[in-house]
Amino acid sequence: MRARHSNKLTIVATVMASIGLVAPGPTLAQDPDDEPEIAPIPYLEGVWNGGPRARRVNGPDAPWVKGENFPVLNERGLAFQSIFDEAVAPKYDCVPSSSPAIQYDPYFMQVVQWPDRVLLRYEKDDQLRTVWLDGRESPPNEYTIQGFSVGHYEADTLVVETDHFVFDITGFDDYNGIPSSQLKKVTERYWKQGTELHMTLTLEDPLFLREPASYSTRWLAAPEGYTLNPYECDAFEARRALRFMVPRYN
Amino acid sequence: MKRLLWTGALTLVVGIGLAISYVPALAHHASGPFYDDTKSVEAVGTVARFVFRNPHSFLFINAPNEDGEMVEWEVELGAAVSMRRQGWTPETIRAGDPIKAVGQPSRAPGTYGICCAQITRPDGSPVRP
Repeated sequence: MRARHSNKLTIVATVMASIGLVAPGPTLAQDPDDEPEIAPIPYLEGVWNGGPRARRVNGPDAPWVKGENFPVLNERGLAFQSIFDEAVAPKYDCVPSSSPAIQYDPYFMQVVQWPDRVLLRYEKDDQLRTVWLDGRESPPNEYTIQGFSVGHYEADTLVVETDHFVFDITGFDDYNGIPSSQLKKVTERYWKQGTELHMTLTLEDPLFLREPASYSTRWLAAPEGYTLNPYECDAFEARRALRFMVPRYN
Repeated sequence: MKRLLWTGALTLVVGIGLAISYVPALAHHASGPFYDDTKSVEAVGTVARFVFRNPHSFLFINAPNEDGEMVEWEVELGAAVSMRRQGWTPETIRAGDPIKAVGQPSRAPGTYGICCAQITRPDGSPVRP
């Protein structure tokens, strides 16, 4: 199945490259006879379950555990954290979660592998990330919530590197009041282990962190035939609970 | 044998807990800033409406407060997309249904929010999708 998928991807990539639709990616090395070499591509496609069956639900100490992998903040990070007010978190206006939080949200995710890109689609917040495999670079001055992602395959692993994130007052996670900056860089490594999808994520952000931090997690295979449901965040309902907090600043 | 009995008892307790109501966790924000996990509050009344949405569903209950005045309690539940996977639908709970919610009270004075609630019928029978 995996070999058949690899062949299918390679054939599609070859055809697309030959008619100029995509530049040959790193998986399409040329041999001396100009015959396309079939490089193995790990088959990671599918809908993946990141819910409570797969892992501990996210919270103030998951996936970042104090005393273990919790990031070491610099003075700027500590200052931002000390004045943080939960009420201003963008999620209460339905602003989507981004890396490194969205990967650990307890929802389902879909992986689609094309010859020149990998699509990571998240049920949470209806988000779609495109991981470019064709060597392109980010256009200058384009910063977005999900950033700009490039990737490549290393043996059985998909490596994704993402930068060009917008500044985000809660860009680290949903629980600890730590921001992330336009210098944030996230590296993800995905591989299959049996029927599970595994990932190790490493986060760098020299504006707020003293050193890189990382966590590992897994997804289970979704039930056969499961398709992602629309999230359609309701901005009114997203704000409803804010009244239940005692205001930090008046 | 003793271990087997303990395992059986544990399974029974967990089973009863799941039968009462399994509502997915909040997962969108921490409950601590909003709700006081050192206290417990109970709302026993009738369902006013059930809002089945993302990022949170809410169950509204007309029930007396601690002073005996009728108020509208707002019970925060999980995301509809997660609840749907457990079999919940917008029709699982209907307006007018008798209901009981026990959970953590909201922190702001004068509000009637409840989090992390155990939801049953008033006689303790389970609410199931």
